[in-house]
Amino acid sequence: MSQQDPVERASEDEEPLHFEQASWQTSEETYEPLLSEKGTSEVTVESPLPDDLTRDSVELPEVEEPELARHYTRLSEMNYGVESGPFPLGSCTMKYNPKFTEDLAARPDASVHPDRSEQASQGTLQVLHELQGYLADIGGMDAVTLQPPAGAAGEFTGILIAKAYHEANGDDRSEVIVPESAHGTNFASAAMAGYDVVSLPSDENGRVDTEALDAALSEETAALMLTNPNTLGLFERDIEEIADMVHDVGGLLYYDGANLNALLGRARPGDMGFDVMHYNVHKTFATPHGGGGPGAGPVGVVEELREFLPDPHIREEGDTYERYTPERTIGKVHGYDGNWLVLLKAHAYITRLGDSGLTDASAKAVLNANYLAEQIDYEIPFGPFHHEFVASAGEQDAADAAKRMLDFGVHPPTTKWPEIVPEALMTEPTEIESKRTLDQLAAAFDAAKSSSGETLADAPNRTAVGRIDQTEAARNPRLSWQALDE
Amino acid sequence: MSFEIRDDCRYRESHEWAHPNGVVRVGITDFAQDELGDVVFVELPREGDTLSQGEEFGVIESIKAVSDLYAPVSGEVAAVNERLFDEPELVNESPFEDGWMLEIEPDDPDLDTLLSAGEYRDQTE
Amino acid sequence: MSGRSASGSPYAPHTDAETAAMLDAIGVSDEEALFDIPDAVRFDGSFDIPARSEQAARAEVAATLGRNDDLVEFLGRGHYDHYVPSVVDHLSDRSEFITSYTQYQPEVAQGFLQALFEFQSMLVELTGLGLANCSMYDAATALGEAATLAARLRSVSGTRVLVPDLLHDGRRSVLENYVTGTDLAVETYPTDDANVDSETLRESVDESVAMVYAENPTVRGTVEENLDTVGTLADDHDALFTLGTDIVALGVLEEPASVGADVVVGDGSALGLPSAYGFGLGLFACRDDREFLRQVPGRLVGASEDDTGRRAYTLTLQTREQHIRRERATSNICSNQAWVALRTAMHAAYLGPDGLVELANDCVRRAQETAARLDALSGVQAPVHDRHHFREFVAQVDQPAETVASDLESEGYAVHAVDDHEVQVCVTETNEPALDGFIEAFAEVTR
Repeated sequence: MSQQDPVERASEDEEPLHFEQASWQTSEETYEPLLSEKGTSEVTVESPLPDDLTRDSVELPEVEEPELARHYTRLSEMNYGVESGPFPLGSCTMKYNPKFTEDLAARPDASVHPDRSEQASQGTLQVLHELQGYLADIGGMDAVTLQPPAGAAGEFTGILIAKAYHEANGDDRSEVIVPESAHGTNFASAAMAGYDVVSLPSDENGRVDTEALDAALSEETAALMLTNPNTLGLFERDIEEIADMVHDVGGLLYYDGANLNALLGRARPGDMGFDVMHYNVHKTFATPHGGGGPGAGPVGVVEELREFLPDPHIREEGDTYERYTPERTIGKVHGYDGNWLVLLKAHAYITRLGDSGLTDASAKAVLNANYLAEQIDYEIPFGPFHHEFVASAGEQDAADAAKRMLDFGVHPPTTKWPEIVPEALMTEPTEIESKRTLDQLAAAFDAAKSSSGETLADAPNRTAVGRIDQTEAARNPRLSWQALDE
Repeated sequence: MSFEIRDDCRYRESHEWAHPNGVVRVGITDFAQDELGDVVFVELPREGDTLSQGEEFGVIESIKAVSDLYAPVSGEVAAVNERLFDEPELVNESPFEDGWMLEIEPDDPDLDTLLSAGEYRDQTE
Repeated sequence: MSGRSASGSPYAPHTDAETAAMLDAIGVSDEEALFDIPDAVRFDGSFDIPARSEQAARAEVAATLGRNDDLVEFLGRGHYDHYVPSVVDHLSDRSEFITSYTQYQPEVAQGFLQALFEFQSMLVELTGLGLANCSMYDAATALGEAATLAARLRSVSGTRVLVPDLLHDGRRSVLENYVTGTDLAVETYPTDDANVDSETLRESVDESVAMVYAENPTVRGTVEENLDTVGTLADDHDALFTLGTDIVALGVLEEPASVGADVVVGDGSALGLPSAYGFGLGLFACRDDREFLRQVPGRLVGASEDDTGRRAYTLTLQTREQHIRRERATSNICSNQAWVALRTAMHAAYLGPDGLVELANDCVRRAQETAARLDALSGVQAPVHDRHHFREFVAQVDQPAETVASDLESEGYAVHAVDDHEVQVCVTETNEPALDGFIEAFAEVTR
C-alpha cells in the first residue's frame, strides 16, 4: 500500500451522515463534501389517534433504497472486520465466522415468537436443549442456562446464582474476590450483584498469589472469579489447591470463559473444581462479534446449583422439549430466553466441528500464538502461554505502536492491559491464521518496533482518518447529529 | 522533568494541595495533573457539604483514567470552582491557580498534619 | 485443501507441512507439548459430538428447526414482527460490519461508528431527549439499567421504584435482579382499564420514590393517556420518570420529552429484526444534563476530529465503563447489541419519516379494525379495554382462553392466552395477509 496524500484521502473517505445533504466543493486540490446542510425532512404527524395522544412531527433522514445501499456500503469500506485481515486482538478471540451459520439464522423457521406454545416450538427448544448439553460437556458442568445475552450478563447471572446458593444456606456473605488482572466486567458484575470486590494481586510469575489468596479468603467470601488460562495466557497450575482453599471457607469458584478457546477438549473447568462458569460463544464458538455485540454468555453450574438457574430452563421429557421453572430460580436476566440467533449459530458451529474440530481449534490457536511469539522482537515477559501472549512495547507507548500497525493493514493487539506487563500488547491470533499470515503479522509487529517515536506519534497515516482527538471528544461531547452545531 | 511545588501550600500523599488563606483552598498538584494527562471531567461536591479529612470529595477523569479526590482537611465546603465543569483543562493548564477545586471552611485551621512542600517534593522525586 | 488433516477444524488453514515447520520454529515436537496443563486436570474423554461436513451440519440443524410448527403468529406483548426489507439483511451482513469488533481502534472503525452515531441521532430525534447510547441487550435489561441510573443520580434521593401491575413478567423479574446491588425496592401501582390509575399513583408518589415507570403502548396494547400526570408527579417529587416504548410507536405516539420523561427504554428490534424468539435490542435515551452524561450506562459514540481537522467518530466518555471504572462502573455491560442497532438504523432510514409515521399509523388502524371484526363474532368482545390501541388488543371469549389458543394453534394460528377468558391479538403487516383466515378460524373455535 502506498502512502496517500492526505488531501486525496480526505476526498475518498468522507461520507456524510444520513442527516446531512452534502454539496461538493471542488478545486484543483480538493474535492470534498460540505456537511453543513440538513438532509432530513420533517413530517407532520396525522394519525387516527386523537391529537393529544400523538406527537406533532417527526424529522428523520430521507433516503431512497439505492442511496441507502451506497451509504452503508461506503461505511462498510471504512470498517475493518475479520475478513479484512488478521485480527489478533487479545482476549477477544476473533475467529472466522462461518457463513453457513448465517444462512441457518436467516431461515424463517429460526424466527418464531417466544410466546408460542412449547408444542409449536419444538425445533427451537431442541436446538437450545442440545446446546445446553454440548456446553455442559465442553465445560464439565452439570447444567447450563443459555439466557444471559453477553459474557458480562453471564458473570452477573453466575454471581446471582452464587448469592442465591449462599442465602439458601442461611449464609449471608459480602465479598467476591477478583484478580487485579481480570476483565473489568468481573468487578462490575460482582458489584451489581451487591458484593464488595476484593482485588487479588498476581505473584511474580503472573499467576494467582496463593499466599495473598489465603489472606483474602474468609467466611465473607462468596466466590473467587478466575479465568484459566489467565489473562497472560498462563495456566493456573495450582488450580486444584486454589479450588480447595476457596471451598474450605465455603466459597464458590467462578470460571470466566473468556479464554476457553485454549482448553477445548484438553481440560474442563468442571474438572478443575470450578462450580459456576460462563461461556463467551462469540469468542469460543465463532459467532460474529457484530461490531460490539450481540454475543451470548451461557452459564454452566454444578449439580448443587442447578435449582437456582434462571427461569425458564429447558429439559427433555419423553421425546418433547419443555420449559420449566427451576425450584429456587434467581428469576430472569433477559426479558425472554437470551440472544437466540447467536445461540443458534454457536450450535451450528459446534455441530460442524465436533470433538475433533474443537480439539484441533484449541491446538492450532495455541500453536499460532506460540509461533507468532517466536517471530516477533518485542519482549514477552511471562510464559509458557497458550492461546495468547502479552508482549511489552518497552520504551514505546503501546497505543502508539498499535496505531502504527494499522498502517501495515493489520489489526493491532489489545493494548495497555493487563497492567502487570508494562505497555502491554496482548496478542491472540486464534486458529484461523495460516503461517503466512502470522509471518505478515510478525513483520507488522517488527516494523512498529523499529519505528521512531515521531513516526509512532504520527500514526496511522493510511487509514480512513488519522489519529482521533480523544480529549476533544470527551471534553466537548457531541453525541448526536443534533449536537454537532454546539 | 520537574514540577511546580508551592512552598505556601501543604500536601496530601494523594497529590492534593491545600492553601490556607482564611478558608482552605484545595486542588491537585502539577505532578498529579501531568500523571493523569488531559483532564476531561471533574466532579465536585456541593456548597454546604461537610467533609472529613481523608474523605473522597470528588472524582477527576482523564481519557483513560479515573481518580478519586480526597479532602486534605475537615470542614464545610464554602465554594466550588464551577469553571471546571466546562473547562476541565484548567486543571492541566493552571493546577495551582485557575484549576483550584474547592474552598473549605476548616474545622481546624492548623494544617500541620499535612505534608510540607519539602516532604511532598521528596515523595515525588 | 490438500495437505490438511481431514479431522481438524475446517477453519484452521494449516497444512501438515506448515504445522511441522511452525512446531520446528518453536522448538517442540508436537502441539501437545505447548499445553502447560497438570495431568490431574487433563481431560481425556470425549464429547461424543461427531464432526460433520458443512452440508451435513447445515441439513441437520435445518431439520431440527423444521420441527417448529408452521404457524401464523398474532403474538406481541413487547416482542414484535415487522417486515424487514431485504436491503437491511444484505447490508448488515457485509463482513466488514458483522465480523468487526467493538470500535476500540476508531481509525479503522469509522463506518460502524458513524452508523451508531446515526442510530443515536435517530433516538434523540424520536424521544426528544438529548442523549442516547448505542444499545442495551433488550427492553427488560434497559429498564433495569434505568433503575440503577436512578439510584446513582444525586438529584434523586428515594428508593422506591414504581412499576405498573401489568408489567410483563420478564421485565419485572429482570428489573428485580438489576436492583440487587442497590437499595432500591420495586413496588407495583395499579392500572385502570389498562392505563395508569392516576389517582392511586398520586397517593403513592412522594419523596421516597426514586423512579416511576410507565409504558406506551402498554403490554396490553393500549395507548397510555396519563403520561402528563406521571411526568408531573415524578417531577414534583424529584423522581425519575422512565418511559417504556418501542421504536415504531415513537413514530406517532406522544414524544417522550413532551410528557416529561427523563429516560426512555424499550425495544428497538421492532425495526431491523424479525420476531426471533426474544432476540432484541434495548433502547436507552435520557436527558443530557451533565449528571446524566456521567451516569448513563453503555457505550456512547461521539464526534471529534482527526489530526487533519476532519470530522471523525469515536467511542467516548469511556471512564464510565467497566474496563476503566471496574466495580464503580455505571453498568457491567461490555458486549451490547451493536449489530442489531445497525440494522434498526438501516430500517428506520429506509422508512424515512413518512414511512415510519405510516407504519405506526397502520399499527393503530389494524388493531382497531381487527378488534372490530372479532367483536362482531358472537361470544367475543374486543377490545376489552375502552382505549385506543397500538398493534394489539385483548379480546374476551366465552370459552377458556387456553382452549381458544390451543384450538387456534390446531388451525395454524398463534395468539396469547392472557387470562382465564382473555386472549391477546397482535396485527402487523407480516400477518395481515392471513387475517381473513384467522378471523374465520377464530369464529370457528369460539362458536
